[in-house]
Amino acid sequence: MPTVNTPGLSLQRIYSYVNRLPLFTRLVVAAIVLFEAAAILLGNWWDVRAWGALAPDELGFGSLYRTNTYPLIHTDMFHLIVNLVSVTPMLDMFEREHGTLTTLALFIGPLSTLPALLYVGAEKYVLGLHSPVMGASIWAFLLAAIEAVRMHRVHPYFVIAGQSFPVWATPLAALVVTMVLWPKTSALGHLCGLAVGYICGLGLLKYLAPPEKVLRWIEGRLNLLGRLPHYVSVDQKTHGRFGVLPMSNLGATPVLINAATASALQLRRDPRILKLPPYLSLLCIVVGVAWLLLLPLDQYSRRTYISENALLPGQVHTYFSGSDQNVFRAYKHEVNALVGKSNAEINDKLEPIVKGLGLKTARQNFTYHAAGHTYAGENLYAILQAPRGDATEAIVLVAAWENVKHEINRNGVPLALTLLRYFKRWSLWSKDIILVLTPDSIAGPQAWVDAYHDAHDPSRVASLPLKAGLLQGAIAIDYAQESRFDSVHIVYDGVNGQLPNLDLINSVVHIAGGQMGIGVALQEMWRHDNGYSDRLRTMLRGMLKQGLGLPSGPHSSFIPYHVDAVTLQPFGEGWQDEMAMGRVIEGTFRSLNNLLEHLHQSFFFYLIMHRERFVSIGTYLPSAMLVAANFTIMAIALWVKSGQAPEAAASKSKADTTTTPPPTPTVERDLFLPLGVVALIQSLSIVPLYLFNHAPESILTPLFIAFTLINTALPSVLSHLLTQTYAPTAQQYQLVKSFSLLLLGMFLSSLATLNFSLALLTGLLAAPLSFAGPCRSRRTTTCRAAAAVLLHALGPPAVLLAAAAYSRAGVAAVLREAAVGWHVCGTYSPLVVWCVWWPAWLATSVVVLGKGEDGDGDGEGKGNGKGNGKGNGKGNGKVKTT
Amino acid sequence: MRQFLSLFWLSFLSLVFFSPSAASAADYHEQLVLRPLPQSALLASFNFRSNTTVSEFEKGNFRFFPRSLGQILQHAGTRELHLRFGLGRWDAESWGARPWDGAREGGTGVELWAWLEADTDEEADRKWLTLTNALSGLFCASLNFIDGTRTTRPVMSFQPEGDHATVSNLHLLYGVLPHEVVCTENLTPFLKLLPCKGKVGIATLLDGHKLFDASWQSMAIDIRPVCPADGECVLQIEQTIDMVLDIERSKRPRGNPIPRPPPGHELPCDTSKPYHSHDTCFPADHTANQDWSLSQIFGKPMKGTCPLTDPTVPPVCIHVPDTRSVFVSEGVRENKSASGASRCFEIPPSADFDMVLPRPSESDPAANQTPDSAIVPPETPLLYAERSFTGHGQERGGVQTILRNPSPDAAVEFIYMESLPWFMRIYLHTMEARVVAGAGGSAHARARPDESSSLIQQVFYRPAVDRARGTQLEVRMRVPPAATVFLTYDFEKSILRYTEYPPDANRGFDVAAAVITILDPDHPGPRSDQGSPAAGAGTSSSSSRGSGGGRRFAAYTLRTTTLLCSLPTPDFSMPYNVIIFTSTAIALAFGGVFNILVRRFVAADEGPEAGLAVLVGRLKGRLLRGAGQAVKGKS
Repeated sequence: MPTVNTPGLSLQRIYSYVNRLPLFTRLVVAAIVLFEAAAILLGNWWDVRAWGALAPDELGFGSLYRTNTYPLIHTDMFHLIVNLVSVTPMLDMFEREHGTLTTLALFIGPLSTLPALLYVGAEKYVLGLHSPVMGASIWAFLLAAIEAVRMHRVHPYFVIAGQSFPVWATPLAALVVTMVLWPKTSALGHLCGLAVGYICGLGLLKYLAPPEKVLRWIEGRLNLLGRLPHYVSVDQKTHGRFGVLPMSNLGATPVLINAATASALQLRRDPRILKLPPYLSLLCIVVGVAWLLLLPLDQYSRRTYISENALLPGQVHTYFSGSDQNVFRAYKHEVNALVGKSNAEINDKLEPIVKGLGLKTARQNFTYHAAGHTYAGENLYAILQAPRGDATEAIVLVAAWENVKHEINRNGVPLALTLLRYFKRWSLWSKDIILVLTPDSIAGPQAWVDAYHDAHDPSRVASLPLKAGLLQGAIAIDYAQESRFDSVHIVYDGVNGQLPNLDLINSVVHIAGGQMGIGVALQEMWRHDNGYSDRLRTMLRGMLKQGLGLPSGPHSSFIPYHVDAVTLQPFGEGWQDEMAMGRVIEGTFRSLNNLLEHLHQSFFFYLIMHRERFVSIGTYLPSAMLVAANFTIMAIALWVKSGQAPEAAASKSKADTTTTPPPTPTVERDLFLPLGVVALIQSLSIVPLYLFNHAPESILTPLFIAFTLINTALPSVLSHLLTQTYAPTAQQYQLVKSFSLLLLGMFLSSLATLNFSLALLTGLLAAPLSFAGPCRSRRTTTCRAAAAVLLHALGPPAVLLAAAAYSRAGVAAVLREAAVGWHVCGTYSPLVVWCVWWPAWLATSVVVLGKGEDGDGDGEGKGNGKGNGKGNGKGNGKVKTT
Repeated sequence: MRQFLSLFWLSFLSLVFFSPSAASAADYHEQLVLRPLPQSALLASFNFRSNTTVSEFEKGNFRFFPRSLGQILQHAGTRELHLRFGLGRWDAESWGARPWDGAREGGTGVELWAWLEADTDEEADRKWLTLTNALSGLFCASLNFIDGTRTTRPVMSFQPEGDHATVSNLHLLYGVLPHEVVCTENLTPFLKLLPCKGKVGIATLLDGHKLFDASWQSMAIDIRPVCPADGECVLQIEQTIDMVLDIERSKRPRGNPIPRPPPGHELPCDTSKPYHSHDTCFPADHTANQDWSLSQIFGKPMKGTCPLTDPTVPPVCIHVPDTRSVFVSEGVRENKSASGASRCFEIPPSADFDMVLPRPSESDPAANQTPDSAIVPPETPLLYAERSFTGHGQERGGVQTILRNPSPDAAVEFIYMESLPWFMRIYLHTMEARVVAGAGGSAHARARPDESSSLIQQVFYRPAVDRARGTQLEVRMRVPPAATVFLTYDFEKSILRYTEYPPDANRGFDVAAAVITILDPDHPGPRSDQGSPAAGAGTSSSSSRGSGGGRRFAAYTLRTTTLLCSLPTPDFSMPYNVIIFTSTAIALAFGGVFNILVRRFVAADEGPEAGLAVLVGRLKGRLLRGAGQAVKGKS
């Protein structure tokens, strides 16, 4: 039974195969061929066949050699070829498997003798016959039997035409075939070979093999491996069926990979895998939140450091003091006299003062319309040209007339004027210094920065008549407090949660805290004990501000243009006077003046939790990503689920087939309706976005109430309409939810890289949407009502209301702020709320509400009609029972 | 008496001016012109000029001509050379027209243009390379970085100033290094070229500390052949230094340069304010005239005069109204000009010279009218130009040049030249000029379209070739009277290769100043007129430039400031991150693949057994001793 595993025979393959035959096999082949040659050539003098055949009669002690020689001698050429072709591959395999020495020992010894003795015994003493036998076919059957037994262990049966046969019996079949094909052959001899083969295959002849230790010793002593070509060493044994390396038998790898994929496929079909995603989603959220809570710990946050060495913060003496205070007092008198005057009057008064300092001044008009209000004004700005500079770079000092809380910047404006007068005396400036005096803290700076970069709308904001070079940094002074101060509050949040380079904040901290001995606070944490709770609070406040994306001071407008900026606010009751504040700014300007390059070294994405501790994006991002991933996981799970038949059908089909595992029944997905619903809901989201951003403030509150009422009814109405018109199936509901969650996950994970906090906040508020599913309990109506109430409690209007209540500002004020941010600064938080979160919320609400009604109707009305894919579990249950 | 003297002086000067023999005889002269400017600034123009005849020059007989420079010129076949070192910016709004009508200044950094004698462009390039490298060594400047990408061949903007016999084989090459920082190491070689080496004469006032503390300064070297109508051609080298000093800053003693706040009682206060008190002081006007002296401003008095200089040319002149009194050292003769706005001083050769300009006395009626009446009001320039970038982001941007013609009745015609680096790919089709009537620019009345289209008369554009050649753009324009023109165009920023970024790449890339050459309306072609030494002087001292002078077709030249263009800059730690990341990926992938390729996979039942049963079996085998391990893989 030759089992040459060569799919296509080619001369080259055969040649290479022959070339790789191991030593003993070669010797056997050579011996067989030699004996045959001898039989032909020396036929007249020496009858080889008579000499070597296994003749029962002539077997004695002197002729025991016959038990060894008979397999090597053949009756004729045909016999020889057939036997050679069948024995060689199997012998080759055997030798590769067990080593040359073992094979030699076994085939010279027991595996020739035992069949021979068996045959002689049976022939002579049982049957009383005397026919001599010869030929290697006995080995062929012996080896085939060993092989068959082993195959039997792996694959006990093979199936032919529905009948399964034991594998071990295949050599017997071969024996029969041989008997039929060549009647001359000795069936008994073959049988004896088979018998010994079976015994050997069952492992009963294990003890006849020479011990491995001895073989090793022999090998080592004689260095057989080195001396004999094609020798298979004890250590080289393959223990395998084919070849040594996959290189010589590439079939092994694909088989293995197929096995792996097969097992993966098997795993995929496991029903338990579909139960996993909700838990996985929950785990994502829990880990995300826990991750966030870990950040304030020492192990997860880092100490701040100055990355840009050129800044050299706090390395210069500051000289802003002495008689400059007299000047400051005079300017303060001037400014105080202007309180209550109009913007134009203020500028008319301030411009000559600034001009008197020797600066070039210019003005800029701007008009913004937002929430029914007009934000108009006139910016006054002046450029102190660097004495030896070349107008390529500039730093900005902003002093708004009013701060964000609409307090007059009584000390800030005179301080800025005094500082500019002082700066004018220095010749060391490498960058121009621009003083910007704006009427307010949001619109004015925004108009100025937009116009500076020519990104303004000329119909609303005038172009700047005077310009300097690239802006390298900006510092805003917000010093409305009248009395002396204790510490400096650094406000650093930009529009849309963009942040200035951390080096700038660190420099101010270094200069104020390290050099001047002035305390530094962040995020309105007036006291900070650097403990876990204070760190966490600072971080969360920062995240909330970042998430809202609203401008927090005059500096905010600069950051989107990659101009690093902070606002400095003195606070508290202490003994530091205005001059100290001026020195902090002087030090900061000197540091910025040192910059050779634009600030780029340090972080732009960070969360600060103490003035000297922060976490960078690599550490905190996973938390938002995990929250966003939970939606994607659920979306994919729903998609997979929607493609499978409901459980009842699956179990039914399982009952049908008996032996093989059932192929998972798949159903076609009906995509049109779900896609349409999701697209409709997404496009609906433009309505609240437009309404809330364009309504005047007076009607914002009524509008919000109306919207909330409509919003409450909207899911029910939509689901009712949907049921009435299309009667969607459970699968379609699943798909609606899947698509809306997919969109949500996608939006949030991209947003997380731009505005981490907004993505995290939205993700957490929207987290219940992942788990809000159809009601499965008996009391569907109660369950649905509860789900709807819960969803509404976490819906955008309710959260807005809660935020308004928390900030004690009223809904209208919150919405106005959002509208101003949207129109003036380009804040995109309203977009995220109305076009990302709200549609997802609406879609989920529709799914939650629509489900029960539809299940009943579907189950009764058309559950039978459309087969497996239709109807939910409950509906199907009904179908089954009826 | 005074009037008589000045009249005499004038006639004497005109005598010098018209005497043909003086042209070749006066081989060297030097002159310092001081001109107080508004806002307590002072313009100091130093001018040194020496001649050598062309025949002497070719024989290698350098007398006043610096040998080091002469040999370079001979070697590189240079017929005319202009080298500029510039720092700071000229504040035209306050200071008015530029000195020398802008002919002796360059943009920020280093500028070089020269006419080379060569038969082919390649030969010219070769000679240019030689020239830049030699000058680089001579002036300690990175002139050798003027390579192909920074060299242009202007077509309209520059005309030879000298008299050249043949123009056909002369090649004009222009190179500019906007980021070159000019400092004392450039001043020292500059002074070494002078015959008196800065030991005596006006050059003694040139001190690096003062020069480079100036608000604006420009060093220029001009070499040109000058052929008088009768007489031999001479090679003329003119070295010019102009600087604008801030008087208040310059008066600070060198030992105490820090502008500490003065004691409260020294602070000049506006006592008219109602809240004025001992601790509250509204500062008095910053631009009040200050008194100053030459030794205060320059840190030391002037040491005599250079003995080699032409004695007929007064070494120091100052432009102040005749009504102001100027005190000078003993033995110095003062000559006032007829116009009443300038006076010059004749200085004895070996005496220190100092000059004191006191604050105009309170009784002086002229000084009390306006704060600036104590100085000669600066002349209004022909054109104001301001250039800035528009747009933001790292992909594309725009350039906007605001050109304002202050003249109420005369249009200005000029050539606007930009030589941009290749990584600024300009979109020529976006170039547009729009005119806004009114000098203020606040009135947004757009001019009629036909007028708008006639603004640009001629455009010469040579597009950039990546990494080989920069963009060259020359626009011939006309600005109507009392109008402001906005010239804008957009460009795209290209992404550089990793190695093409200079150190401090995040600073951005400097873009050279635009050169604006205002054409003389009377002489559309090259004209044989001469510029005036100081801004808008055109008076007595202009005659001191005596012989030859330069031929200039340009009435006025000005340059905008340089720009800083920020290109997309990679995070330079990124390559290391990439290397680490790639190595990790390869290690993981290679490990896996190699494992699959090389490892022998054996089914579980075919491999050697493991576990307790095997251990027990092995023990048994040991005990039985002799029954070793039989055929493997069968169990």
